[in-house]
Amino acid sequence: MSVLKHPKIDKLEQSVSSEIKQQFSQEELFSIAPFDEAETERTGAGSYSYWRSTLRAFRRNKIAMFLLIMLVVIVLFTFIQPHLPGQFDPNAASFEVTATGQSKPLKNSPPDSVHWMGTNAIGQDLWARLWAGTRNSLFIGVMVALIEALVGIVMGVLWGYVRKLDFLFTEIYNVLDNIPTTIVLILISFIMRPAMSTLIFAMSVTGWIGMARFVRNQVLIIRDRDYNVASRCLGTSTWRIIVKNLLPYLVSVIMLRMALSIPGAIGSEVFITYIGLGLPADIPSLGKLITEGRKLLASPSKRYQLIYPTVILSIVTVSFYMIGNAFSDAADPKNHL
Amino acid sequence: MSKPILSVRNLHVKFTLRGRELHALRGIDLDVLDGESLAIVGESGSGKSVLNKNFIGLLDQNGFIPEGSIRYYGMGDKMRNYSDCAGEDENGPYVDLASFKRKDEWLRIRGSEICMIPQDPMTSLNPLKTIGWQISEALRLHHGMTGRMAKEETLRILQDVRIDNPERRFKQYPHELSGGMRQRVVIAIAIACQPRILICDEPTTALDVTIQAQVLTLLRELKEKYSLTIIFITHDLGVVANIADRVAVMYAGDIVELGLVNEIFYEPKHPYTWALLSSLPQLGNRGEDLYAIRGTPPNLFKAVQGDAFAARNPQALVIDKLEQPPYFEVSPTHKARTWLLDPRAPKVEPPAVIAKLKELGGAHHGE
Amino acid sequence: MASYLVKRFLRSFITLIIILSIVFILVRQMPIDGYFQNFEKLNEAQIQNGLHEMGLDRPVFVQLFDFFKNLVLHGDLGTSRIYRAGVPVAEILAPKIPISVRLGTLSLLVSLLLGLPMGLVMAKYKGKFLDHLGTAIIVLIEAVPAAVYYLFLQFYGTTALGIGMTMFSEADLHNPVYWILPVLSMSLGNMTYYAMWLRRYMVDESMKDYVTLARIKGASETRIMFLHVFKNAFVPMVQYIPTSFLNTVIGSIYVESLYSIPGMGGLLVDVVKRQDNNMVQAIVLLFATVGIIGLLLGDLLMVFMDPRISLTKKGGDR
Repeated sequence: MSVLKHPKIDKLEQSVSSEIKQQFSQEELFSIAPFDEAETERTGAGSYSYWRSTLRAFRRNKIAMFLLIMLVVIVLFTFIQPHLPGQFDPNAASFEVTATGQSKPLKNSPPDSVHWMGTNAIGQDLWARLWAGTRNSLFIGVMVALIEALVGIVMGVLWGYVRKLDFLFTEIYNVLDNIPTTIVLILISFIMRPAMSTLIFAMSVTGWIGMARFVRNQVLIIRDRDYNVASRCLGTSTWRIIVKNLLPYLVSVIMLRMALSIPGAIGSEVFITYIGLGLPADIPSLGKLITEGRKLLASPSKRYQLIYPTVILSIVTVSFYMIGNAFSDAADPKNHL
Repeated sequence: MSKPILSVRNLHVKFTLRGRELHALRGIDLDVLDGESLAIVGESGSGKSVLNKNFIGLLDQNGFIPEGSIRYYGMGDKMRNYSDCAGEDENGPYVDLASFKRKDEWLRIRGSEICMIPQDPMTSLNPLKTIGWQISEALRLHHGMTGRMAKEETLRILQDVRIDNPERRFKQYPHELSGGMRQRVVIAIAIACQPRILICDEPTTALDVTIQAQVLTLLRELKEKYSLTIIFITHDLGVVANIADRVAVMYAGDIVELGLVNEIFYEPKHPYTWALLSSLPQLGNRGEDLYAIRGTPPNLFKAVQGDAFAARNPQALVIDKLEQPPYFEVSPTHKARTWLLDPRAPKVEPPAVIAKLKELGGAHHGE
Repeated sequence: MASYLVKRFLRSFITLIIILSIVFILVRQMPIDGYFQNFEKLNEAQIQNGLHEMGLDRPVFVQLFDFFKNLVLHGDLGTSRIYRAGVPVAEILAPKIPISVRLGTLSLLVSLLLGLPMGLVMAKYKGKFLDHLGTAIIVLIEAVPAAVYYLFLQFYGTTALGIGMTMFSEADLHNPVYWILPVLSMSLGNMTYYAMWLRRYMVDESMKDYVTLARIKGASETRIMFLHVFKNAFVPMVQYIPTSFLNTVIGSIYVESLYSIPGMGGLLVDVVKRQDNNMVQAIVLLFATVGIIGLLLGDLLMVFMDPRISLTKKGGDR
């Protein structure tokens, strides 16, 4: 439910909106640019580059930089891990030979030099499953965030530019804003066959509307300018305006939204797996590892099966979240004084 | 000449912005006399607002006072036991506002001693509280008045600021009032505090012309009735002529000329004052371009050398660019910071419009 | 005022119908094998027969029309197909609603009681230790999925309280100790939201001119925070409080099933898995109604709290 959207997103969108508005009005010939000391300082310091200021401010945040590097390392490692020597297939069970000479699955074996994180209840290697699961969960998160952003932008531009569609979109907005996201998630996950694509679809089907609404509001600013013949004659071309004055700000809002959607999607996967509607059996995910580990919570010697995935999941989600927060502060044009 | 109620000496204010220092006030000397109305004029960014924010402790977070003093004499001995910043000099017991460290020290000054009418009446009132509540809050804070007593006093003040139907207004919210009305409510709040000094920050810029005159008249009345000392911050010379006793002209964080209102209008000495007066639209000739000061004020991130205005002054002397001029006394009430007043300086005539201004003013006075 | 109310009410009503229709149509898209116990062994005729018995062979829109007809004319939500076969849905839900409502209300109260002071303190000490501490707590609760920290809260919480992991008996349901953890779990998410929003609005508000005037007046910072800034920051949030009730009810889907609380949330998971269409519809209807009443209530509360908004036009949309 997007009624209460994240304050960081709201704040960045507001500052960005007012910045865009200001930039657009500044180029109007007859507007009197408001004089303030910050503005003179800004011009005095040479040309102001939004992205340079944003990156500079972000780099100054040591914690966020650290988390970013760690996140990059984790993501890279999820890809490198299968190619390291001595790795197991995350779905294959390991077997042991018993005293009687029979071969049986190596169940819940504690961590040792072969299975670095031990095995689970059916003998699968937890180390391999952990990284495969992280890779899959991250993939879901990133895809959901990308789809939300992409669909949001396309729909937002349509919503803003095509006047006839305004009514339709407003209605869609009202409905989507009123349907509890969780219920949509549950229904779709159940109606469609369990698959990665099902989950991604179910998670992104409502999330784009917030982005679309923001894009639409910005598009309206350009559209009104476009209809304003005077400014079209005097000012720069619309494309230049979009590329120079709109895009950089849009990108920062998108990035913040993505940074916050990814941990959300990863969390939703855990939830949907818990209620039994998650991914098919042969695709490991963090949600699956946690749901499996939960059953062992009560026996202290096997609790590590829950702890390891929880730690990785928390590192990933907290990193995304904190990087997003730090980025939103860095990208806020109001903080660029 | 009455005694000073506020005495500013060598006041410097700096701001840190992105690791750099902006020298906003560069050694201000100013006496505010008890019971006068003093206008502080200058362009935006000249530091007139910054100066006044110091009087009420509202300097922005990144601003600080590296040196200087602001001695306030209005409280007598009352601050002695309360603040380390109290003392006594030839003008009597004072408290130095520039050296306040604690927030609660300001609570004794704000409102009850020095009060301010902020620039924009449209946004200065709390949108969720009634007019009555907001005025009586001042009474509660400073005079311990509550209930019926506070209400009666509030109604009386509402009448004082010429708001009709006070009983009804008392219960209304700010959004139900026009801009002029809100300005009166803001003034009423200031009056309710019963300050000695009232600072009016561009009191009329946000209002339309017909209401401007009414508000100025009102301020004049209130000044008499409550024996206020008023400081006007303005760039509107019309307001200055209308209401001020004395005028301080500020440029680039410094007072360049200070004198009685007639002295500033008819005998200006500083080239910046000339330029400022020349840009009065009333003095323009039909068909000619209005006079505008060329260039921009100096960058206060860098140290200013010599006369800050020299760069924009076509008739600047060589020394103007090298050394800061001292104050030259024109009359006991009139001083200016320009090398033109040095006996060694060549005779530079003020622009013709200044003479015209004197003519117009003289005719006006002759009536 | 009356006309505004009527219009506002109509809008909500239409939105509700649209949502219900969408859910109804979605539910009909479920795979048919879920409707039969032993799908693999059935032949085509038996399947068709079964679908006909359940009324599922008719066009979706006919089914939809029937659903609304029965709902409006008889207040009939149909009967449960499998959860408790043949029992009217309303009868099954009736004893469960109060439990979920109690859980939701308590959580909402707790989240307000914890979240508002937290936001207030964070705003007052902006940039100081308490602000950073609050931010750290918020980051943990916001970023770590609820599905994960609920588990740990349950495991360590029940151990600390010396109670069983779940509510097993009717008696546990009446024991307040058993309510502590579910209520706490469900309130944490909203708590961080209230704290974040209140902090944000308070920081925004304290930049405003009227705060400067209050300062000029000689009001102390504490007085300004409580008497001036807080109310102005709280009013825009008021609109969302009734809506966030829905959020807590949604939270109950997970919490109720985790603690085996016999409420509606846990039930939803159950009936979705068993494809008990009428049950699913009924529960979604309830949730959607709660959401829409929440929005309506929020708008009305806003009008009540903010003198600037008159009933003739809708308040600021955010």
